[in-house]
Amino acid sequence: MNRAALLWRVASFAVAAGFIALWQLIANLKLVSPVFLPGPDRAWASLVRGFSSGDLWSKLAGTLEHMAYGWLAASIAGIAIGAIIGSSRTMRTYVAPSLEFLRPLPVSAIIPVAIAMLGLTQAMALFVIAFGAIWPIMLATVHGFGAVEPRLYEVARSLQMSRLAVIFKIALPSASPDILAGMRLSLTVALILSVVCEILAGLDGLGHWVLLSARAFRSADLFAGVILLGITGYVTSVAMSLAEHKLLAWQAAQR
Amino acid sequence: MASAAKRLEAVPGIPAPQIAFDGVTLVLGGKTIIENLSLGVRPGEFLCIVGASGCGKTTALRLAAGLYQPTSGKVNFDGQPMRAPRREIAIVFQDYGKALLPWRTAAGNVSLALEAGGMPSAERPARIEELLRTVGLPGHAGKYPSEMSGGMQQRLQIARCLAQEPKTLLMDEPFGALDAMTRQGLQDEVLSLVAASGATVIFVTHDLDEAIYLGDRVIGLLPHPGRIGIELSVNLPRPRDQLSTREHPEFLRLRRQLFDFVKATEQ
Repeated sequence: MNRAALLWRVASFAVAAGFIALWQLIANLKLVSPVFLPGPDRAWASLVRGFSSGDLWSKLAGTLEHMAYGWLAASIAGIAIGAIIGSSRTMRTYVAPSLEFLRPLPVSAIIPVAIAMLGLTQAMALFVIAFGAIWPIMLATVHGFGAVEPRLYEVARSLQMSRLAVIFKIALPSASPDILAGMRLSLTVALILSVVCEILAGLDGLGHWVLLSARAFRSADLFAGVILLGITGYVTSVAMSLAEHKLLAWQAAQR
Repeated sequence: MASAAKRLEAVPGIPAPQIAFDGVTLVLGGKTIIENLSLGVRPGEFLCIVGASGCGKTTALRLAAGLYQPTSGKVNFDGQPMRAPRREIAIVFQDYGKALLPWRTAAGNVSLALEAGGMPSAERPARIEELLRTVGLPGHAGKYPSEMSGGMQQRLQIARCLAQEPKTLLMDEPFGALDAMTRQGLQDEVLSLVAASGATVIFVTHDLDEAIYLGDRVIGLLPHPGRIGIELSVNLPRPRDQLSTREHPEFLRLRRQLFDFVKATEQ
């Protein structure tokens, strides 16, 4: 890391520390009632207590599980459906308008439908998370498959490559930057919907923990849960970026 | 039909054409791009096609590749009608940047052709190394196309085409985007590669000197619609040499003839 980058990093940490200090100050001065706003010290203590008693671990695991299953299901289905639609111009023309109608539909609107059909179950949560997370991935895949350099298809034809080989050796790698960007967006969507489903269906997870803490006026626990959700979002997104960086090393060479 | 059958008959002493256009007409989007083109390319021949832009030279090449099907007439390869592209016909595209896989290294790009040909993975590395050496890219196996110069990328595309072990090499203005020095070097390399492999070549270019320098025969197309306007046999000694061949009286005579033809078509 060079000097300037190091300086920027130090500065960004300083800003974060400043915010935490401000929060502590507000709590200490009791500008907001301690019943609603704990200081960072109390939130931290609650985090430590939650993890040492094991409660938070299981909640965190529950949320990660919901998020991962839903996201993986969305990724597999989104890439598969997106590939089918994207690799044929006819399909793109016919299906794209329907996709454009479904895409802006707020996922929260289909939660009652999912509950009516599947009940307050894990299956309902999986369905809702996958349904919400599939759009960015599917649309990115459709776009990526549609934007494959036509010359490469001609190369594939002159090599008499099979349809399957064309998909796996040409279309999929060519669309991979789009697909991975879509998957990164979906990760956030999956986390949001995991929390929503846990709150609505009372499924084991941080969403449920946050809800119960709020109802019991345990503000420190509430904040501990929120902080943990923030960290979860941040860490998964960083992990995704690292994976993208590694998988798309050839793009770095291009720049 | 009678004339077609006659044309494709084997005549003793004259080898049957490897690629034969027989009264080929191509209409695309209501426009006649090529009209009634008949043309035979002998095995091992180096045929150059020249002409003003829009005369259908690239289209003719795509017909020979099987990427287009004629509206009427026939394109035959080894006596068989061309219905689709075939592995024994390799195409070197002008836009090497688009024809290479940016996510694969040089070795990976050559490998694509070997994979398509069903070569077992254990045998590929040795063959890839050999092919990269043949085109003058030893030691660049691990580089991505984006890390290579234009000339190197075009060499890489040629290596991939050679990996197909083609009977016919179709080259569409392959050196059009390269600087003069690189271009001359690659001209000589293509000549020696072709001489070594015995492949038939159809080479499209708008550089008249290049066409005469490389070819056994040069065909000049007339535009709107594309048809043959001039056909010249190039009886220059091989191996050709950038200096002495280009100073040869026969070279200069052909050059004059071809320039006059192109000038006349532009009016």
